[in-house]
Amino acid sequence: MTGNFRSWPVVLALSLLSAPLLLMYAYLIVDTITNSPVGSFVPNEFTLEHWSFLWETPRGRPNIWRVTLNSLVFATSSCLIVLAVSSTAGYVLSRLNVPGRSFFLAGVMVLHAFPAITLIVAIFLVLQMVGLYNSLVGVILVKAAIDMPLGIWIMKGFYDTVPWEIEMAGIQDGASRFRVWHSLVLPQVRPGLFALGLFSFLLGWSEFILPQVLAPGNQVQVLSVYLASLIADDNNFDMALFKSVGLFYIAPVLILFFAFQNYLMNIYGGGTKG
Amino acid sequence: MNSSRNLGLVLMAPAIVLVVLFFLVPVALTAVFSFTTMSTSTGITGGAYQLAPNAIQRLRDQFGMVELAQKLGEPSFVIDERGLATLEAKGVAPGIVAELRSNHLNETFTVRRDVERMIRSLRERPSTPEVKLISAEFSRSLANARFADEAALFAAVKAIDAQLTEDEKAALAAASYSGWTWTTENFRRMVSTPDTARTLFNTLAYVSLTLVLFNTGFAMILALAVHYMPERPAGFFRILWLLPRITPPVIYVLMWKWLAWDTGFLSAVLDDFGVRPRNWMLDSAANAWVVVVFINGLVGASMGMLIFSSAIKAIPQSLFYASEVDGAYRWQQIRHIILPQLRWPILFVTCYQTLSLLTSFEYILLSTNGGPGGTTEVWALAIYHTALNNYAGNLQYGYGAAMALVLVVIGIVLSLVYLRLFNYGALVARPLIEH
Repeated sequence: MTGNFRSWPVVLALSLLSAPLLLMYAYLIVDTITNSPVGSFVPNEFTLEHWSFLWETPRGRPNIWRVTLNSLVFATSSCLIVLAVSSTAGYVLSRLNVPGRSFFLAGVMVLHAFPAITLIVAIFLVLQMVGLYNSLVGVILVKAAIDMPLGIWIMKGFYDTVPWEIEMAGIQDGASRFRVWHSLVLPQVRPGLFALGLFSFLLGWSEFILPQVLAPGNQVQVLSVYLASLIADDNNFDMALFKSVGLFYIAPVLILFFAFQNYLMNIYGGGTKG
Repeated sequence: MNSSRNLGLVLMAPAIVLVVLFFLVPVALTAVFSFTTMSTSTGITGGAYQLAPNAIQRLRDQFGMVELAQKLGEPSFVIDERGLATLEAKGVAPGIVAELRSNHLNETFTVRRDVERMIRSLRERPSTPEVKLISAEFSRSLANARFADEAALFAAVKAIDAQLTEDEKAALAAASYSGWTWTTENFRRMVSTPDTARTLFNTLAYVSLTLVLFNTGFAMILALAVHYMPERPAGFFRILWLLPRITPPVIYVLMWKWLAWDTGFLSAVLDDFGVRPRNWMLDSAANAWVVVVFINGLVGASMGMLIFSSAIKAIPQSLFYASEVDGAYRWQQIRHIILPQLRWPILFVTCYQTLSLLTSFEYILLSTNGGPGGTTEVWALAIYHTALNNYAGNLQYGYGAAMALVLVVIGIVLSLVYLRLFNYGALVARPLIEH
């Protein structure tokens, strides 16, 4: 941006383009705590009735807190697995002299570009055969495995920025390679671990297709599947209820995103699925 | 764990296990499953042998074994030791059993009436309930009987037809097997069915429209607009346009439904201008396409915007200053300074998004679900509808796996091409500590 061009026409044009998007998000919030007259979109009363799903469980649906707990378990576990696997494998690819290192790295890149969702038919059948269908364990493992190539790639990037001198000093002082990684290098990439953890937690929290296909049962339902089945039920159309559940579901995402956007921006810009 | 080689293998092990279990094995199994007839009706583990009416019909029509089929199809009664022993155990008069054993052993009857007439004519004259009880013990009908394996099936059939040839055995096993079998029919069907051509056309239209209009086109507009803006509004718009991407798909599509449904915002606003309210998402194929492309496009645009933005930031500021001193207009700056620098980012985004658009279907599933009437059914969604979830409830795993195999092959080929294209080999630096 240089000073020779006026910027207000650009700002105005982009504001007009962005208006529908802003409107959608504004009404996502407004509609959950107000009622509007039929055919109008100007609210005329404040209400909390749309949030009653928090304390009343509709017939035939799982309890919302149970579902929320499932979502938390799902997102947290897959995030922890991704972190554990990526922080070790990323270090190997960045630093260690193992045979076939460039082959592994190429493999990670191919897996990152490769659309794992195409494997879902085979995974679905395998989980049924081994009895992990409709269980959180199965879907957590699948989610972690699918997100892992990106995680390894990101962690390799963070390890690449750590100066070699730190490790050389550690080796000089007689520490093993494991000790060097664990005690000296890992603290250096703590911001990277945090960013990746946050990112993969959000990926898990938002995931819809995997739990929908692999774990749709009431006992293991996560929020995305719960909300989708609410919306798909033609007998109970209640847009304000959908939006309230939706806002309840998206709130952690928005809070984490706005609180830590500086951490996340790098990863989002670096090419993820979607 | 002092040498980096051993430590490296230990640290890599978890990743390798996950790759094998959730990438390599599923790829191989997709190929394996695609050559089977697996479906909801055959089940996914092994099946059983059942002489259901359709199995007997197959034996007659497909294998031409009319006699055998007729024998198996008829109820049959055999006076044998097994039945006599049961009768003794049940306390039927010993005289009846003795007479049956001495005069009628190994007689067979194909009609219940015949066997009951014979029993009634015995010297002890059993009553009608007794006749029924006795005849039931000699019933050796195999209709609808289930057998766990071939041996049990053959043993049971031998009781009815002692001279079972090897040909007949093979036909019998093939006709009565209820589990899945190997086949190449899936691929023949994929090539011949007209649905394939339509789905393929939809997929191409969906990928190219979204890619050109939004993932690169609109993303470029956003990146340029943000570039010609002071930092504060630029940051605001960057975040705003990232929202569709970070919003979970279920809510994001819900907001579009609020906009497009017949009681939604668009209908209400247009109602004031005399346009009949309607479901803008599903009322016509054209509208469904617009919605599908918009929904996916806005999600994809943010990635292009961020990548193009950082590429523009990397251009030396002096180039811009110099061009402005020379009196360049804004579009001349864009045309001659910015766009030439964006060649690689555009190629990267195009490659990357082609593959992810080709295989992603959740936004279409949640919005139009392929409707109206299958006009927005793309390849990946068709797989979902074939093998994982549909209204009819008959899931064809084998055919779905065959369709998935097509995408798997495309995915592998394209990712290998990209690896070459972007020269990732250069990213591996030699380790500076050698042991």
